[in-house]
Amino acid sequence: MISRNFLQSIKFERKPYVKPLWKVLYFSLALVAALLVTVLLMKMAGADPVEGFMALISGGFGGGDELIETLVRSTPLILTSLAVAISFRGKVYNIGAEGQLLIGALAAYWASVNFSWLSTVILVPVTIIIAFLGGALCGFIPAFLRAKFQTDEIIVTIMLNYIVTYLLSILVSGPWQDPNSSYQMSPFVPEAAWFPLIIHDSRLHIGFLVALFVGGLLYVILTKTTFGYELRTIGANRTAAKFKGTNISRTIFLSLIFSAGIAGLAGAGELLGLQHRLRMDMFRGDGYTGIIVAILSGLNPLAVVPMSVFFGGLANGSTRMQIMTGVPTALIYAIEAIMMLFLLIAQVISNYEITRVRHDQ
Amino acid sequence: MGQEISAAVMQVKNLTKRFGPLIANDNISLELHPGEIHCLLGENGAGKSTLASCLYGSYKPDSGGVFIGDDEVDLNSPRDAIKFGVGLVHQHFVLVPALTVIENVIVGTISSGIKYDVKKAKREIQSVCEAYEIDIDLNAKVWQLSVGEQQWVEILKVLYVGVKLLILDEPTASLTLPETVKLFSILKKMKAENLSIVLITHKLREVMEIADKVTVLRKGKLIATVPRSKVTEKDLAEMMVGREVVLQISKDTIEPGGELLQIRNLRVENDKGKEAIKNISLILREKEILGIAGVSGNGQRELFEAIIGVRKSIAGQILVNDTDITRHSPREIMKHGIAHIPEDRIHEGLLTDFSVKENLILGYQRKPDFCKGLFMDAERIAGYAQECVKSFGIDTPSIEHPARFLSGGNLQRIILAREFSAKPRCIIANQPTRGLDVAACEYVYHLLLEERRCGAGILLFSEDLQELLGLADRIGVIYEGQILDLFAADEVELEQVGLLMGGVQE
Repeated sequence: MISRNFLQSIKFERKPYVKPLWKVLYFSLALVAALLVTVLLMKMAGADPVEGFMALISGGFGGGDELIETLVRSTPLILTSLAVAISFRGKVYNIGAEGQLLIGALAAYWASVNFSWLSTVILVPVTIIIAFLGGALCGFIPAFLRAKFQTDEIIVTIMLNYIVTYLLSILVSGPWQDPNSSYQMSPFVPEAAWFPLIIHDSRLHIGFLVALFVGGLLYVILTKTTFGYELRTIGANRTAAKFKGTNISRTIFLSLIFSAGIAGLAGAGELLGLQHRLRMDMFRGDGYTGIIVAILSGLNPLAVVPMSVFFGGLANGSTRMQIMTGVPTALIYAIEAIMMLFLLIAQVISNYEITRVRHDQ
Repeated sequence: MGQEISAAVMQVKNLTKRFGPLIANDNISLELHPGEIHCLLGENGAGKSTLASCLYGSYKPDSGGVFIGDDEVDLNSPRDAIKFGVGLVHQHFVLVPALTVIENVIVGTISSGIKYDVKKAKREIQSVCEAYEIDIDLNAKVWQLSVGEQQWVEILKVLYVGVKLLILDEPTASLTLPETVKLFSILKKMKAENLSIVLITHKLREVMEIADKVTVLRKGKLIATVPRSKVTEKDLAEMMVGREVVLQISKDTIEPGGELLQIRNLRVENDKGKEAIKNISLILREKEILGIAGVSGNGQRELFEAIIGVRKSIAGQILVNDTDITRHSPREIMKHGIAHIPEDRIHEGLLTDFSVKENLILGYQRKPDFCKGLFMDAERIAGYAQECVKSFGIDTPSIEHPARFLSGGNLQRIILAREFSAKPRCIIANQPTRGLDVAACEYVYHLLLEERRCGAGILLFSEDLQELLGLADRIGVIYEGQILDLFAADEVELEQVGLLMGGVQE
């Protein structure tokens, strides 16, 4: 029985300074803990954990082909994670990357069909820009409501995710449906709009380079520009930012639009680089996984890239794991969540301490 | 429960409470009798609230203690205090706005079980209300009540559990005059019921109106406990403020320049929508320090925030060099050469997770000096930050060091360096030396005087009278949102300012 006095005497305080070595230790422990829980899950699924992990790792990172496929898989994830990271840096909570990604794909589809007379060299950049604008438009709605009526951007962006999903459904089962198919999908986009491949005979398209470029760009924006400084400022201490004359509404507005535009790029890449037609099941929740990846990367654009590739690799390897050991691919969603929980715990433990306040001398 | 103390008196014997190097209560001894209203009088930081927290079990004294009857009692938590019949009404109410008055009163008193008898509770509360003539709708939700009524709910809460000793911490701070009158009549009824009441206040008039005994605290020390009938407001003001030697600050006499900042009939509301600044007019000249004395919570924050633009005034005008800046944004106001030093440097002035360098440009990031187009000019910012660290003596390993590792004095130096490097014409400083050690305070004084010499006008809010007398050319006293009087600093009488701070105007 814990006495009330004991509970009252406990305080939760931020540590003034944490040695990097301790941080490494805490985070390693978290990874080990996550690993153990995953092993447990594999056991429960009736598989041999060693075999399962081997299949997962070799399927994701085991060879040249696997690695390339992992990069393909991580391309949209890099962009959605970057989108989330930049808005979260300003404590602007854009949860709508999923919807913005879809809108980006819709905009890219529209552009590729309507400007199909352009040559690839021009058409591809045009579709990329239009996908960005489409996503940004989707971000404009929560941004405008936030600036004008102080509406919570979390709720608006989440609701927009559903709206956009149904919009896609309407389009691919109506005006944009493939006349030769009874499935909910559009015809193929004109080939002139297909993203060129980086490596011949693979599926790795220039969308990956775009993602890398955006990662670098965001890093520069956050650390080197006035806008980035102001965005970090409103994330760190909104009161001080207000006292010192930062235009908070404007910064939130811009960050939402920018973030949404980046998520839109992910949609363009998936449509024009990989799938080439709109389908209801073309996306696998990368908008939501991006939130996890962004947080695990400490909202740092440079860390987002390797972290996305890691998670992309797990997703990619999960197929082999299912084939070899029968563990369902859905396990990787559990791994993502478990890792995030343990790493968050490690983050809290390494930055905070529990102290006992002594009343007696 | 608590029956054994019905006739007893609470005594405080040699109570000392320290917070680190600060002695908040220094060897305090007091006796509290039933049927008596005992006022604790003192400025901010005198140790009144700390003492109340010790009586209520929120703090445990370092030495000495609380006696009930002949026995020393161990108050480890408010729960213990309540057991001994001690009740406390906080300055900031702790009520659940969505619940009704009855629910708020009985919450926490239900000992066990799932069902409780609301009807019985209502009857009991009603009878308490009748006994003390508290006129309130018991079924109203708390958020629907006025501030005064919410306080009655707090009082009902303690009366309902049955107290022998009731402590009220600055109960009139947020009340209107009629609400205060009503509160005092309730308190008098409680006194007639033989309760012992401790009233914490800094308002002299209230003391004179209601107290039986007064204990004056100053800087943690008990100055005197006297029967109200034996003292005048003047005596109390003198005890409260003290007659220490005025701080020796060497200040040149400078002829003030033209009118810099004009405030005309300004009205500002506080966060609760109550008028916190009531029709203030002030003129600040160049080369002058205008000090605003007053106990905190009398409108200083609202006036400060209205001038720098983070709080919108509801009426009146603010002009800088004859340009109207009323209700302009903080950014526009900064552009008129108005710099500010906020009261709460951690939350309102700094980004503690950011580097010293990044803190030094906060608010000035768009200055042409620091920009190259959309980019920040890293080289010039670093050069400027180095210069700041050197000339303002900021003690930091490097300009890249996170600000949160620095001491309070160094954090204040960052703010001073940032604000004064912008060469402001007008400086609005709210409690710029709060929480600083002597050396850091002196540095702040030195810088303020230097800015004055260079032609800036400074509006200085401070609770520290010594500081104001040493620095200011003129001193105004703010009380309940009004400037009661303005003096030339060399003609001012300490006790007169003390009286005014307590709301007594001759």
